[in-house]
Amino acid sequence: MYCFLRFSILLVGLIVSAGSYAVNAAQPLTTADDLGPKVEQPIEFPHDRHAGDAAKGGMQINCMYCHTYARRSIVAGIPPLQKCIGCHQNIESVRETPRIKKLFEYWEAKKAVPWKKVHDLPDFVRFNHERHIQRFVFAQNKPVQEACGYCHGDVKTMTVARRQKPLSMGWCVSCHQKDHPVDATSTKTTHGPNDCWQCHK
Amino acid sequence: MSITNLLENWSDFRQQHPSDDRPHREYKWAMSIDLDSCTGCNACSVACYAENNLPVVGKEKFAHGHSHHWIRIERYWDNDGREFADQGAQFLPMLCQHCESAPCETVCPVGATNHTADGLNSQVYNRCVGSRYCNANCPYKARYFNWYDYPTTDNVWPEPMNQQLNPDVTVRGKGVMEKCTFCVQRLTVAKSNARSAGRGVLDGEVQTACQQVCPTGAISFGNLVDPLAKVGKQWMTQQVELNKDKQAKDVKDVEEKAAKLRGYRILEELRTYPSVMYLEQLRESAI
Repeated sequence: MYCFLRFSILLVGLIVSAGSYAVNAAQPLTTADDLGPKVEQPIEFPHDRHAGDAAKGGMQINCMYCHTYARRSIVAGIPPLQKCIGCHQNIESVRETPRIKKLFEYWEAKKAVPWKKVHDLPDFVRFNHERHIQRFVFAQNKPVQEACGYCHGDVKTMTVARRQKPLSMGWCVSCHQKDHPVDATSTKTTHGPNDCWQCHK
Repeated sequence: MSITNLLENWSDFRQQHPSDDRPHREYKWAMSIDLDSCTGCNACSVACYAENNLPVVGKEKFAHGHSHHWIRIERYWDNDGREFADQGAQFLPMLCQHCESAPCETVCPVGATNHTADGLNSQVYNRCVGSRYCNANCPYKARYFNWYDYPTTDNVWPEPMNQQLNPDVTVRGKGVMEKCTFCVQRLTVAKSNARSAGRGVLDGEVQTACQQVCPTGAISFGNLVDPLAKVGKQWMTQQVELNKDKQAKDVKDVEEKAAKLRGYRILEELRTYPSVMYLEQLRESAI
């Protein structure tokens, strides 16, 4: 009797698990609808010009040159105006273009540029940039733009950044469930933590 | 967590009694509270309110039996046989015991309360549907239910008091259960910092809010796996073992020895395997 019960429970489990496999296969993780809203920034910052490929007229600047905190803090950080001016006061060729003029207006008024948030997670979620950058860029030696692009999309082709990934829990978990090598050379793999309190607070 | 992951890694997720076969890997957070040092000043409770965004429910609701103190001071007035019976109450700070085999976890219909790899009893507010079954099953009555939507309707944190809310902790809405988290937001930061430095969390590097404010240092908190941790040493000296529901010191032939030991865990016989050890009060006998 009990043996029979146990078998039927197992059967239900198998059917459910097969069903969930099917559901997973049917739904692509990223769809066109995942594209976030267009965010109007005070200055139309050209990411493509700064970080884009040299062949397309980009400067190929490392993401972490401006977003310095990504490797050592929970947040990646928006660069202070000093950082922009630090380079741009020496770049005479673009000094009179409208965007740079606007930049220097802020500088002369001694005001910070009121950048708007593009990748905004709910308040109950804790996402740590440091852990991800240390793992992918420093341990696994992935190119910086690729590693940042896992969540931020191909920012080097955009002007103002726009959300391209869903940033939903299922999407996060889909990567946490995958086995990733622990460093660039080792064959040993681990997956991301799957404990709720790792991300939920 | 998809069901495939749940089924494939069932051994990681299922509730198990602690055993030598399945030891904790890096961390097992535990606490010990010295009741002899505790003066019942309630500073721990106040610190918890500030750290964890707990709403002050007010006199009227408290009179109806509603409260939100994740750590509360229980008073016992049993003074029979004491030399100085008018000396006052005996105090016991009661918080979630983070049981290794927690009765609350097994009854949650939606799996909102789980055991983490660090030996914490986690409560996930987003998943909680407010059945309150866990509260009913908790022998320590350490879980608190949000009957009201404090952040909005009741104006618990009027301007500018909302500025003191801790951004690392969710402000819970109506209809979810909440309880002591062992200040998991602090543990996460400490673990991340330690990992960047390529080591484990050192003893004393992370403190819970209640431990930090305790004026008499009655509360110690740390990693039981770490052999250098104060809390582990206390557990060992008191001969209290995490994975036993009956401690060796309680056996009759070592009765004399046991009389000198004052470590115990509350309602241990229920086989909840709590992570909080109390040190019995002996102040009066020491006088």
